[in-house]
Amino acid sequence: MRLTTLLAIAARVVVPKDYRYGTNRPRKVFVEPLASHEWSVLRGDTVEILAGKDKGKQGKVIQVFRHRNWVILEGLNTHHRYIGATGDYRGTYIATEAPLLLRDITLIDPTDRKPTEVEWKFTEEGERVRVSVRTGRILPKPVVERRDGIVPEQWKDGPKDTSPEDTLDKTYVPSLKTLEEEVMEKMGIEEPRRHKKSYWY
Amino acid sequence: MLGSVGGFTVKMAASSSAGRALTLCKQFQNVLRISTAVNAQHCAANVTRYQNHVYRGTSPLIAPSWCSSPLSSAGQCRALHTTVSVRGLEEFFDLPENWGESRVKSGAPWTAKHLRTKSNEDLHKLWYVLLKEKNMLLTLEQEARRQRVQMPSPERLRKVERSIIRLETVVTERETALRLLQTGQEKARPGDWRRNIFGHVFWYRFKEYACPWYMNKRYKRKRFYTPNFVQPHLRLRIEKYLRERAKKANLEKKTQAKLREKFPQMKISSS
Repeated sequence: MRLTTLLAIAARVVVPKDYRYGTNRPRKVFVEPLASHEWSVLRGDTVEILAGKDKGKQGKVIQVFRHRNWVILEGLNTHHRYIGATGDYRGTYIATEAPLLLRDITLIDPTDRKPTEVEWKFTEEGERVRVSVRTGRILPKPVVERRDGIVPEQWKDGPKDTSPEDTLDKTYVPSLKTLEEEVMEKMGIEEPRRHKKSYWY
Repeated sequence: MLGSVGGFTVKMAASSSAGRALTLCKQFQNVLRISTAVNAQHCAANVTRYQNHVYRGTSPLIAPSWCSSPLSSAGQCRALHTTVSVRGLEEFFDLPENWGESRVKSGAPWTAKHLRTKSNEDLHKLWYVLLKEKNMLLTLEQEARRQRVQMPSPERLRKVERSIIRLETVVTERETALRLLQTGQEKARPGDWRRNIFGHVFWYRFKEYACPWYMNKRYKRKRFYTPNFVQPHLRLRIEKYLRERAKKANLEKKTQAKLREKFPQMKISSS
């Protein structure tokens, strides 16, 4: 057997017959192409649903799948399923959100809470922001918690962290010396040995 | 730079001479035995070790494994380290207040932008600080593995590694700039375009040797040409490559047509 065939067999994921796929079912789909710099929906945004079961409702974006133009909202567009079933126990009945396509979503103007179209524009400072077409207001970027739970404003340095003043201190003076030469000068190392002839090929 | 080996190479002392002289006969690359009694008089100027073939900071020191103590052959007599903190082996372990914790707080890694504002001396010091921290974290990781528990805050190790990589990038940037200015060479390590036996032309990076190529048996066995019987396969390979390229372009066109059919209102497609 060919090596490539063997590796392909090993790499193929073996799945039981009654396996319930989530958002990662392996299938070839045609996704409406959208340039990555034109993407306007960010995690943490409030959006309104235009079509489907929960039409007209507003919700917060929990997760975004750019490769399939999907957006998952919190608690909306849900269906129910059993989870954790073993043997006789049929499992817990919980609600799970289904993803929504970008076509069925609009961003909401924060001032009047109505759906609007959004464009990317530059401010006077040079910052790239989303601007609502209807009202002209800027949509602020949603504040999302970092995965490690750190809030940069409330950070206190530990014993091994460098203080902000020391980090921003500019000590570099450009010179025509390599790092090795400069360090040798500073440390007073003298290298009287010379290179022997060597061959490079 | 040709080393006029002046006062450095000492003729191989017979084993009777006191254990100071380490010589390396460059021609035969044979190391002579270190005399047993290497006493404290290392600093004698007669001591030599294997000559460092340094090419602008690229080839690592070919550290001979026989060289035992770090002080034995240093040409200069200096203290082993010049740091402020001399905690010794304790540097392999974390601060005592972090022992037994399940999570240890750690800040953000150094960015290349910040590292570029630092002087060379600062970068030199920072390198060793980062190295010691990395050693400490690796010790911790290994100990956690040995005791089969989770290492507290493994992201610290990744942050330190990233900082080290960025420091290295900054230093190479500065070196490249200086080299370009002074010599016009883009690459630190010399190399050449060579053809291998499969017909591929590739960038062969030179290695440093002590003897010229016509005396190097192993080097002469390498073949930097394509044998005649490989010639027909080159054409077949080119054909295969062109066929694959055409198939990919075709597939691309088909998918674009399909997408336009499914989503008639899409703009000029990306990727």
